[in-house]
Amino acid sequence: MIQEFTDVVPSFFGMLNQGPLTLTIFLHTIIILPMFWIYKQEKARLNQEK
Amino acid sequence: MLTSIKTNSFAGDKGKELGMMYFRVAIILFGAQLLMGIIAAIQFLYPGFLFEIFDFSVARMVHINALVVWMLYAMIGSVYFMLSDETEHEVVGIGLGKLAFWVLTAAVAVVVLVYIFIQVGSGSEATIWFINEGREYIEAPRWADIGIVAVVIIFYWNVFATYIKGKKTGIITVMVANLMALAGLYLAGMFFTDNISIDQYWWWWVIHLWVEATWEVFVGTLAAYALIKIIDAKREIVEMWLWIEVLMLFGSGILGLGHHYFWIGTPEYWWEIGALFSSLEPVPLIAMFVHVIYDWGKEQGANGTKPVIKNGPAMAWIVINAFGNFLGAGIWGFFHTLPQVNIYTHGTQFTAAHGHLAFFGAYATILIGMFYMGVQYAYGVERLKATFKSKMAIFLITFSLIGMTIALTIAGYEQVLVERAELGGTWNAFFVAQNLPWYVQAQVWRTIMGVVTFIGFIYLVWDLLTIGKEAQKAEA
Amino acid sequence: MANKNVSVWTSIPFWRRSAAWVTGFSTILLIWLTFDTIGQISMGTDADLKKGITKRVPAPTVINYHIDYKMSQKRGHEVPVIGKKEPFFGKEWSPKEAKELLHLGKLTVQAKNCMNCHTLLGNGAYYAPDLTKAWLDPAWQKGGPMQGMTGKNTKEEAMAEFLQHPSKYPTHARMMPNLGITPKEAKGVVAFLKHMSAIDTNGFPRNFLKTVDQFKAGGTNAH
Repeated sequence: MIQEFTDVVPSFFGMLNQGPLTLTIFLHTIIILPMFWIYKQEKARLNQEK
Repeated sequence: MLTSIKTNSFAGDKGKELGMMYFRVAIILFGAQLLMGIIAAIQFLYPGFLFEIFDFSVARMVHINALVVWMLYAMIGSVYFMLSDETEHEVVGIGLGKLAFWVLTAAVAVVVLVYIFIQVGSGSEATIWFINEGREYIEAPRWADIGIVAVVIIFYWNVFATYIKGKKTGIITVMVANLMALAGLYLAGMFFTDNISIDQYWWWWVIHLWVEATWEVFVGTLAAYALIKIIDAKREIVEMWLWIEVLMLFGSGILGLGHHYFWIGTPEYWWEIGALFSSLEPVPLIAMFVHVIYDWGKEQGANGTKPVIKNGPAMAWIVINAFGNFLGAGIWGFFHTLPQVNIYTHGTQFTAAHGHLAFFGAYATILIGMFYMGVQYAYGVERLKATFKSKMAIFLITFSLIGMTIALTIAGYEQVLVERAELGGTWNAFFVAQNLPWYVQAQVWRTIMGVVTFIGFIYLVWDLLTIGKEAQKAEA
Repeated sequence: MANKNVSVWTSIPFWRRSAAWVTGFSTILLIWLTFDTIGQISMGTDADLKKGITKRVPAPTVINYHIDYKMSQKRGHEVPVIGKKEPFFGKEWSPKEAKELLHLGKLTVQAKNCMNCHTLLGNGAYYAPDLTKAWLDPAWQKGGPMQGMTGKNTKEEAMAEFLQHPSKYPTHARMMPNLGITPKEAKGVVAFLKHMSAIDTNGFPRNFLKTVDQFKAGGTNAH
C-alpha cells in the first residue's frame, strides 16, 4: 500500500503523499477534528445558559 | 450617477459620498476593460489588426489590469459605502480618504498611459520600476506598487478606526479582518527573482488567495449586508451564514492554492493537496447560493405582508451573483482542477473560459449590484424598481458572458485534444490547433459575445445615469 | 444529549470559533508547506550539477549542459534529464557569467511582457505558444523549420536571431511583434528558456514532441 518514494526530495509531506490519499486525509482530519471539541464546548455553554 | 465628478449634492453621508467617487471610476475602468477585451478578441481573428502599434500583449495587459483595478475600486467603494451603516458611526478620516482617492486615481491614470504609450522597456531594473513588471495581473510598476500600498494603508486605517469607534457587527468584523489579509497579500507580489518557480509560487499567493479566498469572503460580506438592506433579511441568520461561508471558503480556498502548484517546479505532494482542497471550493459557493435564494423566498412570504424588494436591480444582480459564482468559479473551476485533467488543460482556452465566467459571476455581478445600491442612496429613493434598461443590461451581459464562456470552452477542448494530446504541445502544434475551423469559429462567437457584452454595458451605464432621477420623480 | 432543545448548529459563536480555527490553522499549514516547498525549489548550485545531484530548479550553469526531457518509469511522467556538457553561444559560462545572463534574461522576459501573449510554466496568456519546454522544441533543432529559416547553425543562435527580428521570420499569420530586443538581451532570454526547460515540472507538458523525426511524421503519436 505504501509506495516507494517517487518525488525528487524526501520530505514530511512527500512521505505522507506516498499512500492512497493519505496526505489529504491527514490534512483534512487535523483541520476538522478540533471542531468536535469546539462543538462540545459550545453545547455545554448553551446548556448552562439555559 | 456620473453627473458630478466630485460629490452628490443630494447625499448626506460623507463615507457614502466617498464610496460613490470610487464607484464612478470603477464604472469607467469597467468600460475600458471591455473595449480592450474586444480589441484582443479581434486580434485572435485578424492578427494584423493594430500589429506593432497596439499589440495583443498590450491590449490584454490593459484588459486584465482594468479588470482588477475596477474591481478593487468598486470594493473600496463598497466598504466606504457600508461602513457607516454597519458601525453606526461616521466614517473616520474622510479628508485623508479623499486625498488617497485622488492620489490613487492619478497613479492609475499614469500607469495606464505608460502601458498604452510606452508599452515595453529594456531588460533592466528601470523597466520593473517605471514601466511594467511583466507579471500577469500585477504588472503595475514598482513605484505604483509602493503608492498602492500607501493608499491602502490610509484606506485601511479609516476603516479600522471607524470599526474601533463604532458598533462591531459580525459583518463588519469579517470585513475588517478579511481586508487586512487582502491588503497584506499584495506584498507577496512585489519583489523580483531570477527563479521563475519561486516567482510564480509567490505570484499565486497574491492571485489565488485574492480571487479564491479573500475576494470570495468579501463577496459573502457584501451579500450579507445587501440582503439586510434590500429584503430586510434577519441579521442573526445572515451572520450565521456568513461565518459558515468564511469557514468553508477559507477552509477550502487557502490550501486549494495547491492547484496552482502542480506544474511550476513545486513538489508532487501539491497534486493531492491542490486537488482535494480545491474540489471543495464549490461547496461554499453552493451554500451562498442556497442562502441567498432561501432568504429571498423566506422574506417574500414573511408575515403575510406584501413582499418588498427595496432595490430591484441590485437584488437581481445579487441573485445572478449567487448563481454565477457557483457556475463560473465552482463548476468551471472544478472542470479542470484535478491534476489528471489539468496536465492537458493547463494554459489553454479552458482557463480563459473559467476566468471570464468566474470574474463575472463571482465579482462583477455583486459589484454592479452595489452600484445600484449607491444610486438608490444618492437619490434618496425609497424603492428602486428595475427599468427596461436595467433588464436589458442584465440580460445582455449575462447572456453574452455565458455565450463567451461556452465558446471558449469549446476552443479549449479543441486545443487540449489537438495541440496537447495529438500533436505534443510544441510551437507548431499550437498553431495547427489555433488554425482549425472549430477553434476559429469559437473565437468568432467569443468576439460577437464580447460586442454584445459591450452593448449591455451601454445599457447599464445609461440605466445607472437615469434610474435614480426617474425613481425620484415617480415617488414625488 | 442533556438538553434536546439546544442546537449548536444554529449558534453563531460555534461557527465563529470554527471559522477562526479553520482559517488560522489552514494558514499555519500553508506557511509550513511554503517553507518545505521553497527549500525544494530554490536554485541548485554549480557543484550540484557537477556531482549530478538532481534539483527541481538547477543552477544557472545548467545552460552549459545538454538538456533532455524523458519518460521516467519511476515518476510516471517525463522529467528533465541533464546530460553532457555542450557549448552555449560557443562557450562555457562560468557560474558568475551564467547567473548574470539568466538575470538579464528574466528581467527581459518581464520587461517585454512575454507573459501577456505566451505562457511560462503554463501561466500567462493563450495567444502564443507555451514556452515551458521551448528549448526542446524540434522546430529549433538541426533540420527543424525555425533553425532553417533563420539560417543559423545552432539552436541558441537561431532563437536569439528570431527574438531580435521576429516579424522577419513569420511562421503563421499571427506573428510576434518586434519588441526591440537587443542581441545581449536575446542571449539572456535564450538562457532563461534553456534554464526553464531544465526545471522539473512534474511532467508538464505531457507528451511533448521532441525530435525532428516526430515533427516531420506529424506528431507524438504518429509512426
